[in-house]
Amino acid sequence: MAKVDFRKVGVVFRREYLERVRSKWFLIGTLLGPVFFGAVTVLPAYISMKSRPGSELTNVAILDATGSGLGKRVSAALHKNYPATPAPEVKVVEPPRQLASEDSLVNAVVRKELTGFIVLDSNTMANKFVRYAGRNASSLSDVQTLMSSVRQQVLAQRLEGEGLNPERIAALTGDKLDTKTEKIGNSGREKGGGLGNVAFGYLVAFLLYMMIALYGQNILRGVMEEKTTRVAEVVVSSVTPDTLLAGKILGVGLVAITQVVSWVGLTILMMLQLAPMLFGDKGAQQVGASAAASRGLPTEAITSALPTPGVALTILAFFVLGFIFYSSLFAAVGAMVSSQEDVQQASMPVMLMLISSVVFMGPIVTNPGSTISRVMSLIPFSAPIIMPLRMALVPLPWWEVAASVGGVVIAAIGATWVSARIYRVGLLMYGKRPSFAELARWVKYAG
Amino acid sequence: MSDLAISIRNVQKRYAEHTAVRDLSLSVPRGSVYGLLGPNGAGKTTTIRMILNIIIPDSGTIMLLGQPHLNPGVTDRIGYLPEERGLYKKMQVRRVLKFLAELKGVDGKVAEQRIDGWLERFDLKTAEKNWGLSKIDELSRGMQQKVQFIATLLHDPDLVILDEPFSGLDPINAQALKDTIVHLKELGKTVIFSTHLMDNAERLCDSVCIIAKGEKVLDGPVAQVKAEHGSRVVALSVNSESRDAISPILADRALVSRADDQNRFYEIELADGADAQALLRRVVDTGASIQRFELVQPSLHQIFLEKVGATGVEEGMSGQG
Repeated sequence: MAKVDFRKVGVVFRREYLERVRSKWFLIGTLLGPVFFGAVTVLPAYISMKSRPGSELTNVAILDATGSGLGKRVSAALHKNYPATPAPEVKVVEPPRQLASEDSLVNAVVRKELTGFIVLDSNTMANKFVRYAGRNASSLSDVQTLMSSVRQQVLAQRLEGEGLNPERIAALTGDKLDTKTEKIGNSGREKGGGLGNVAFGYLVAFLLYMMIALYGQNILRGVMEEKTTRVAEVVVSSVTPDTLLAGKILGVGLVAITQVVSWVGLTILMMLQLAPMLFGDKGAQQVGASAAASRGLPTEAITSALPTPGVALTILAFFVLGFIFYSSLFAAVGAMVSSQEDVQQASMPVMLMLISSVVFMGPIVTNPGSTISRVMSLIPFSAPIIMPLRMALVPLPWWEVAASVGGVVIAAIGATWVSARIYRVGLLMYGKRPSFAELARWVKYAG
Repeated sequence: MSDLAISIRNVQKRYAEHTAVRDLSLSVPRGSVYGLLGPNGAGKTTTIRMILNIIIPDSGTIMLLGQPHLNPGVTDRIGYLPEERGLYKKMQVRRVLKFLAELKGVDGKVAEQRIDGWLERFDLKTAEKNWGLSKIDELSRGMQQKVQFIATLLHDPDLVILDEPFSGLDPINAQALKDTIVHLKELGKTVIFSTHLMDNAERLCDSVCIIAKGEKVLDGPVAQVKAEHGSRVVALSVNSESRDAISPILADRALVSRADDQNRFYEIELADGADAQALLRRVVDTGASIQRFELVQPSLHQIFLEKVGATGVEEGMSGQG
């Protein structure tokens, strides 16, 4: 029995694709995507470039109870790093008056005259700790910036105490060190640093998850619409349900790919167009840098983390297979239900599989070689999301990737086989949602 | 065999709880209008869905236009109007029609050309308004039914299958549908439709098949079916004062097996061995004023009640119309 008519798959495919791409929601989503991505990358860079280095961070007071002039040194160092703003005010106090002075500084912070204050006392000199109190005390990067200046000055003062020439000390301790990372793979050194790869891996895994979840449920709604409007009966009198299902999955899958490609294209275009507008021509190149730097990433790490054609193809393969796997299951759910109220419950098992893959993204990024990472990248339902993530993080032996792909292929074939049978029967069944026993019977008797 | 548009042999379809169609065989001659009659739940829709390969029968064979119904391309030559109608709500009318025609193997450009003619014929494209460019859900219910009907015929099918086509139609559209069925027959097409409205079937069909509870009760050309059940039915009408006087006669089971009060006349089925002349004499003897006494062919409705009633279908399941 000729079940799938490829010419008619093409007809269904074209309808599914064109009707979605023509819809205004697709247009809105496509246009808003880059705005969203732009907002999370360019905007922080822009803000930090325009406002950050100045007033807020260094609008602090330094409470110096050490009696050694350390406060002055720190203030001068901060002023040197952020010359645009006045040097932080230093209050030298006797240790017994320290608490009272702190209270008045707290009030100043409450009145928003100060962002915060640094406390230098005997503990600091004993190399134990330095305290910072302020509105931005929970911002790790702010505190880090302030404290590194303090640390440097404590060190400098001690060296001076040991009799070293102050100029010599400044020369020796003044340099900041940049970090550059290099990844070592099976074939030795590879391009790209670790941090860029993490960002890229996250981005890919997140996009895969988002596209599968969004467009899988889109298929569910489409199937349910055909069923509840009864148009399904006309269609399956012309083509077999398998043909309809195949055309649907391929058509909607291509919509998802179209969306991602236009997002990437528009984002690049926006970066190029928007950067000169915001920062002026010469600033344009810095934007990319500061966009990356705002998350502590060197630009070249990101560009070099871009995948080789082989890796890109493997990621595409994982998307295609993962999409076929999940969307055929979503289609089966769509054919099972007759009302919107049933959708939530009936799609829960499929959603759980999908979400469980994302839940493990954190632990896998921190430890891509662990057993759980290996297992999650081999289990067919999580592999399409987890394997591309791992591939971006660490070099993997080819057979591990091949085993993962193979597993997903088998799972996708199995899922489409079962789903096609549920789909075939469910499409013309109305009324209450079937139980698992009934579902099993559908699969068995669908012929 | 090729003079048959549809040939169904010993087809069976069983669901978990019940048998929907049992050992059904029927033949639909090419170029005829064929009625599939039966009460709700008789298995009409199941039979139609099996013909269209929407449902796979458990056993038996189905031949369409001289070849097995599973042959590729066979369903392309069939136009189908399901009982429950619906189209893609958010899709443009023209695109829906083109899509459904392409599913039947019609080239997209050819479909485009035909769509205009059909839209004009059904008043969906006029000087003021071209509904073809609207979305389906902007159309009234009646217009949507027209679109669905165009979709059934756009690919110029040889065999047209209509499931309960008259349900939900107003009298004007029902008349238009009857005209279209007659027109299709003139074009040499075969039309098969299911209905529980005997009146429509009687007027339109060349042949009928009555099924009940998944089994065939009778089938054949309408004239033949009537002849087989004919001349046993009398239409009797008396003036209203005489109605009470003749009621004992109608209750006499030796003479009358069934009397159906049609308000303006009684449709009387004579008992086995009873003679119409004897009935007439009895009525004259009561002194009743007779307005009509006529030997008539039974209506399909009459035959339907007689046959289906005999197989034990509950009262009131057959519509009348």
